[in-house]
Amino acid sequence: MTRRAAVASILLLLVPAPTLAQGFSGYGEVKGFAFTGRAVDSDPWVLGWSTLFVKGEKKVGDTQWTASGRAEEISSRERGPLVLDPADREPRRSPLSVRELWVRLPVASSVDLQLGRFELGWGKTDGYSPADAFLPRDLSDPFADEKLPLWATRLSGQKGPLRAEAVAGLITTPWRLPVLGGRYAPLKTESTNGRIEYADEENTPPRAGFGALRLLATIGDWDVGGWGRFGVRPAPLLIFRTDLATPVPSGLIVPVERRYAREQGIGVEVSRVTGSWVLRAEAAALFSEDPDLGNALIGTLSAERGFGDGTLLVTLAGNAKDTPVDPALLFDRALLPALIVAWNRTEEWGSWKVVWTEGLKYGDGLLKAEVGYNATDLWRITLGGELPYGSEKGSLGALHAARRVHLALRRSW
Amino acid sequence: MSGTFPGSRAVLAAAAIFLLLGGRVLAGEDARTLLSEAETRHRTRSQEYTGELTVVNKDGKVRKKNWRSFRQGYAGDAKSLVRFTDPPEVKGVGFLSLARPGKAADQWLYLPSMKRERRIASQDRDASFVGTDFNYEDMEEFDHKKFGVELKGEQLLDGRPCYLIEAIPVEDGGKSVYGKKILYLRKDILFLVREDLYRRGEKEAGKRLGLSDLRNVGGHWVAMRLEMTDLKKGSRTTVLLKEMVFDRPQPDDRFTLRNLNREGGE
Repeated sequence: MTRRAAVASILLLLVPAPTLAQGFSGYGEVKGFAFTGRAVDSDPWVLGWSTLFVKGEKKVGDTQWTASGRAEEISSRERGPLVLDPADREPRRSPLSVRELWVRLPVASSVDLQLGRFELGWGKTDGYSPADAFLPRDLSDPFADEKLPLWATRLSGQKGPLRAEAVAGLITTPWRLPVLGGRYAPLKTESTNGRIEYADEENTPPRAGFGALRLLATIGDWDVGGWGRFGVRPAPLLIFRTDLATPVPSGLIVPVERRYAREQGIGVEVSRVTGSWVLRAEAAALFSEDPDLGNALIGTLSAERGFGDGTLLVTLAGNAKDTPVDPALLFDRALLPALIVAWNRTEEWGSWKVVWTEGLKYGDGLLKAEVGYNATDLWRITLGGELPYGSEKGSLGALHAARRVHLALRRSW
Repeated sequence: MSGTFPGSRAVLAAAAIFLLLGGRVLAGEDARTLLSEAETRHRTRSQEYTGELTVVNKDGKVRKKNWRSFRQGYAGDAKSLVRFTDPPEVKGVGFLSLARPGKAADQWLYLPSMKRERRIASQDRDASFVGTDFNYEDMEEFDHKKFGVELKGEQLLDGRPCYLIEAIPVEDGGKSVYGKKILYLRKDILFLVREDLYRRGEKEAGKRLGLSDLRNVGGHWVAMRLEMTDLKKGSRTTVLLKEMVFDRPQPDDRFTLRNLNREGGE
């Protein structure tokens, strides 16, 4: 199947763009990574990642249909077996997957109903937003910040300056974690009994999803909003079953189970244009009766300013509540408190960006830089690097074996 | 001069000043009248078109983009929506601009990759609009009421006599990225055919917008070719307007943030 996908991608790349129907778009990309270190011997020094993405869109009257799919080949353990995984519930990425499959139709004046599989983006603060914390992410590449789409229904409408959106997640799409113990999810791998390996146990995320409601209003230079949600938290809680550890000649194999807690949350957000700045603040209160998760009070402050074709964004995020377990094991709270500074700039030849994330608890951090060169309207070359640094107690410093550079070539159509 | 009475110089000077000031006031009224008349003549309830953009940088490298553009209202009460349709890297990018009387327009950019809109702060309005030579302020409909205007004379442009009008933004009109605009208004049809744009603090025009290939579509004059030249960078962006339609009723919710955020929405 992989060979077929590769052949299909090559054939598609050869098709002249104008011959493709206007409703189809997509890209083919090959990407290579080179690392400066390894967390375990099974981590590769270099890694290849190729992707073929195809999207079709069609509007029939007022009804919008969209479908997209992805074929990919990864040369590391992040690649899963070829299985039917329409809701991304398997621990590893299937080589073939459905990314979008939705229909949107008007149900009343200024009210739409969207059904199917689609991606949500609620958070207004780049870098970190508690409004997005209930959305599943794929951490197969933890530096890629990839959101997973959901099977859901969404009702959205606007009346005057007020916008409303209600979402029902039909099934839980869990966060996809990197290979435990590898460079992207380093865990303590030495003990008095020798080396520890972690074994992901078969798990079935709960079927039930979540419900969420969001209200937004734009009043002059102010944007205000509020949201509430309830249901299953898609980020898992990890249970290390040392009681079931199996001794092997090199040490121990510890099974790791996953559990999904229920959580309720409410949040508010406000932003204002002030001269040359856009200032934002978000606050969220998250409640869970699960003793390993507990409650959280998360706040973010951000300031954004344009400088010609460049944009500077500074975000400060923190959690006022202590977590009952190591926050690194709670994923969406692992980073907090943190300062995030991002600079993006568009050039005639392409674009570049630098993002600096500093964990304020342990003094660890991550420096990311990327330069994209548009060779033509359809071909783009990207060169970048990620440099985690600092204390290994922090969630970013722990990724020191994931220091890397990457080079990608993308052809869009 | 011997028969002149004492103080006659002062009187003459006063008269000269009066005439000068009076002339300026009249000229100001004339420019305003001309622009008001132009707005009345060319006002349409709505406009839709497909834009084919060609961006040529100083080295001659060419980039193509396409958008669909919708407008309701005109000048000071205009609402506009632009949705890019090509190339893939910008497909689906949307731009909403809502004029506000006496202020800079409210503007938002929707990025499909982010799944949400981004508000454009007024100081961001000199940034390049999606890789073109237009900036965000250029994407706003020109509203002469936000400018102090003065008729500076007449000039031939492509063999056609034009009024030359200087427009300087008024402070309470929403801070403009430009300190001055020189407008070329064709005398025979009172149609704006060129703008020389001076950024604040600059003595030379930094950009020039040319409007050409004038046609009468459905009783309305329209320039089917727009060209924005960045005189400093040496680049230019040409927009060819196709499938032009005027006065088609627009859906109530087209110019809303909800619609801007609708993927595939127009």
